[in-house]
Amino acid sequence: MAISKEQMKDMYVKMRRIRDFESTAAKLFAEGKIPGFVHLYLGEEAIAPAVCECLRDDDFITSTHRGHGHIIAKGGDLNLMMAELFGRETGYCKGKGGSMHIADRDKGILGANGIVGAGHCIACGAGLSAKIRGTDQVCVCFFGDGSTNQGTFHESLNMASIWKLPIIFVCENNHYGISMSQDRHQAIKDVADRGAAYNIPGIAVDGNDPLAVYEAASEAVARARAGKGPTLLECKTYRQHGHFEGDPAIYKPKEEQAAWMEKDPMPRYAKFLVDNGVCTAEEVEAMDKQVAKEIDDAIAFADAQPIPSLESAVVDVYSDIVEEVRDR
Amino acid sequence: MASIGIIANPASGKDIRRLVSYATTIDNNEKVNICKRIVLAAQGLGVDSAYFMPETFMIGYAVKDSLESDGVLSLSLGVLDFEIEAAMEDTVRSARMLEELGVGCIVVLGGDGTSRAASKGITKTPMLSISTGTNNVYPAMMEGTVAGMAAAAVSLMSEPYECCIHDKRITVRVNGEVRDIALIDAVVSDDFYAGAKAIWDPERIRRIVVTRCHPATIGFSAVAGAYRIVEDTEDTGFAVELGQHGEGVLAPIAAGVLTPVHVADARTLRLGEEYRFVSESRCMIALDGEREVLVTPGSEVSLTVERDGPYRVLPRKALQRAAELGMYRLK
Amino acid sequence: MKMMTYSEGIREGMSIRMREDPNVILFGEDVGAFGGCFGVSMGMINEFGPERVRDTPISEGAIIGCAVGAAATGLRPIAELMFCDFLTVGMDQLVNQAAKMRYMFGGKISMPMVVRLPAGAGTGAAAQHSQSLEAWLTHVPGLKVVYPSCAEDALGLMLSAIDDDNPVMYFENKTLMGVKGEVNSFDPIPLGKGKICRKGEDLSIITYGRQVYDALEAAEKLAQDGVSAEVIDLRSLYPLDKALIGETVSKTHKAIIITEEVKRGGFGGELSAIIAEEFFDYLDAPVVRIGALDTPVPFAPNLEQYYMPNAQDILAGAKKIL
Repeated sequence: MAISKEQMKDMYVKMRRIRDFESTAAKLFAEGKIPGFVHLYLGEEAIAPAVCECLRDDDFITSTHRGHGHIIAKGGDLNLMMAELFGRETGYCKGKGGSMHIADRDKGILGANGIVGAGHCIACGAGLSAKIRGTDQVCVCFFGDGSTNQGTFHESLNMASIWKLPIIFVCENNHYGISMSQDRHQAIKDVADRGAAYNIPGIAVDGNDPLAVYEAASEAVARARAGKGPTLLECKTYRQHGHFEGDPAIYKPKEEQAAWMEKDPMPRYAKFLVDNGVCTAEEVEAMDKQVAKEIDDAIAFADAQPIPSLESAVVDVYSDIVEEVRDR
Repeated sequence: MASIGIIANPASGKDIRRLVSYATTIDNNEKVNICKRIVLAAQGLGVDSAYFMPETFMIGYAVKDSLESDGVLSLSLGVLDFEIEAAMEDTVRSARMLEELGVGCIVVLGGDGTSRAASKGITKTPMLSISTGTNNVYPAMMEGTVAGMAAAAVSLMSEPYECCIHDKRITVRVNGEVRDIALIDAVVSDDFYAGAKAIWDPERIRRIVVTRCHPATIGFSAVAGAYRIVEDTEDTGFAVELGQHGEGVLAPIAAGVLTPVHVADARTLRLGEEYRFVSESRCMIALDGEREVLVTPGSEVSLTVERDGPYRVLPRKALQRAAELGMYRLK
Repeated sequence: MKMMTYSEGIREGMSIRMREDPNVILFGEDVGAFGGCFGVSMGMINEFGPERVRDTPISEGAIIGCAVGAAATGLRPIAELMFCDFLTVGMDQLVNQAAKMRYMFGGKISMPMVVRLPAGAGTGAAAQHSQSLEAWLTHVPGLKVVYPSCAEDALGLMLSAIDDDNPVMYFENKTLMGVKGEVNSFDPIPLGKGKICRKGEDLSIITYGRQVYDALEAAEKLAQDGVSAEVIDLRSLYPLDKALIGETVSKTHKAIIITEEVKRGGFGGELSAIIAEEFFDYLDAPVVRIGALDTPVPFAPNLEQYYMPNAQDILAGAKKIL
């Protein structure tokens, strides 16, 4: 499907937003400003923005523990995200979810998820829901190569296939399941091959090239919307950092890291835009500046927010029952 | 001492044409199986050694491990030793190294793109291409056992070129500089990025130059083939220009996809004759199905068909000649 | 008034809401033309069609996860697990997803889903098809758990379970499927409301599910000996009708808790602890807690009978505290 220059620029802004948000999160985590742990999307920025460029606001996504990129790409609010990372009362989850559980139902974001492989089944539910309610919404299920060894991956591909659910299974193959490289954790190289087992088209594209991802995703989304069923779209990419911040990633060969840094999607795509007259170098710089300001604003916003009251701990377990705050 | 080379591309057969058409899917484990059959067949006819291209799926090692543990591997099986880039360059480099090693035949598993890359690394080694890609014209659908026997026969006979055809190819020049080559077709499209690499949208296609064309093939060369037939033996190429008007033809541009297109202009190209045009805007030239060469506005493009491609093994002929030479007779 | 079996009560509860609301759907293994393993959804496919009474592959994780995704996006799904024992296969989707999403997401997502869980021993189905696993689920904040014992409650609790905006675990006892009972009301029964099945003064037997019948049988025998036992059917394990427990214990001062689960770590222990923590002053005797043997469910009929708690156990327990 053809892509306009405006869309190309929009993808760049989203990629830049993710890159800056994640770099900032890394820095803030190192400074001790963010509690818990964070899994960063650095290096994979070409995927979610390109996929989400093919989606409508009322389409759904399911995400992973490495979810910031998906949420930003689907239109998540940077201020609320940052406030949640800081554990503040006004964050996306009122400070009860943190990095791994950001959701925004109004934008169709059915949540980042701390359980590897959990999103696949939830995507089936969202797809079934669209079908039963008679809408043409679709659901994108983002996941990594590691999750394709979970039973849920196989159960869900099968279910989505027999019911022709409007789902695009987007595998962000970053070549590692935590510390285990892909060639050690599965005896295939292309996750796309697994589509054939469920009679789902399985295709693989360069996940560091947003245009390659966009082309494939737009076809897959059109297919899903038309009721033709799910697609397995594998995007080959690389996790530039460790599994989580603080993981020195000693298991990654230096040469491999260096080779993939050469293929870093950010400079590569910026160069493409300028070389091909989509925009000028000045425009790229202006977009970068705009995003840098958004991130600064998000930090300032988050910093100014209150921490949650202890009373709030017992709220939202159920829609109707509020447990009492009690002594132990 | 006879040897063969095997180039199996683990990346072929999973591009976007599985979404926009009904293209074949061959997974990498099946490629391993095909390679096992090639090795066993070649070994059976008397080949002593086989060399594999190194790649990410490590097909060569998988074949070796499996056949060794079954206790059926007798030829010497090796994998070329170099640092891979997991890119097309690995194929070109492997082909070059195999030729330097003096193998009698190189078996290529992949699509049109893989054969094209392999052909860029060799000058004279006979090449036998098996289709494990998409919408292929150049490689043929073939049982691995037959391919292995044909490769063995060619590498064992003293006059291998009797069983080969010297293929044509297209040389792409931009502003006088050679940029790349194609074995079957060079297709000019309105795209200005490689994107998902494969080319499939007829709306964006402007020109097609082919070395050969026939309605019995699929892909963009079939557009020319639907209009006029050019055999691999004929010393001509063919060029068509698409437009809104002109004669309409129905062509299988992708697996299962017959599309009406309009041929605004068509002409036969003599060998060596340049097909020239000046690009008005940015465009891409797809070579054997993959967007490869970006052309900037105002560039002068020339596409030339010449008979300077690889020596392609004709498997039926090779197996027939092997019989005449008594290769199947028990000693 | 209408006579109905327990399974008809469940079916009628589902059907009433499915007639009213196109967003209510039922799916699970063989719930369609086959009618469900215990015949509960028999015939529903004819009324509602295969889209809304949907057979699933044997994929418990995907079944529950699919309910989670559907509930989060506008449906009110009812998912059936053929046997509650199969919870083990879908537990992540239930415990880490369904139960926690609302809380993790700051209250911004609703999870109106029902999981039907046929439970209990007594059918000769052995260790993997007979368990009572309610304690696993009552342990999880975010889940509600109900366990009807009769047709009317089955119907009324099903209506409430479907209407609820939280994941409701709906246990159904396999041995009660054919038990007939009067259905006087077709209204929802609020979750968290137990009922007094038999009034008494001397002793409270607190239970739910199949053991309600054991309790009534024991109460009858105790009455012959001049002991007046009160039988409480909790119906809902979370939310729990603590007020009713307090009332009955304050009246009889003696409590026997009987559940079908293995005694170790069971929900009966939780009930016992609540009485000890909150109603200790009413007690004239220690709480008696009766459960199944602390073993897997055995197969041979005599072993299975030995495994399960029964009215005799209640009588023996009563003897200790009277």
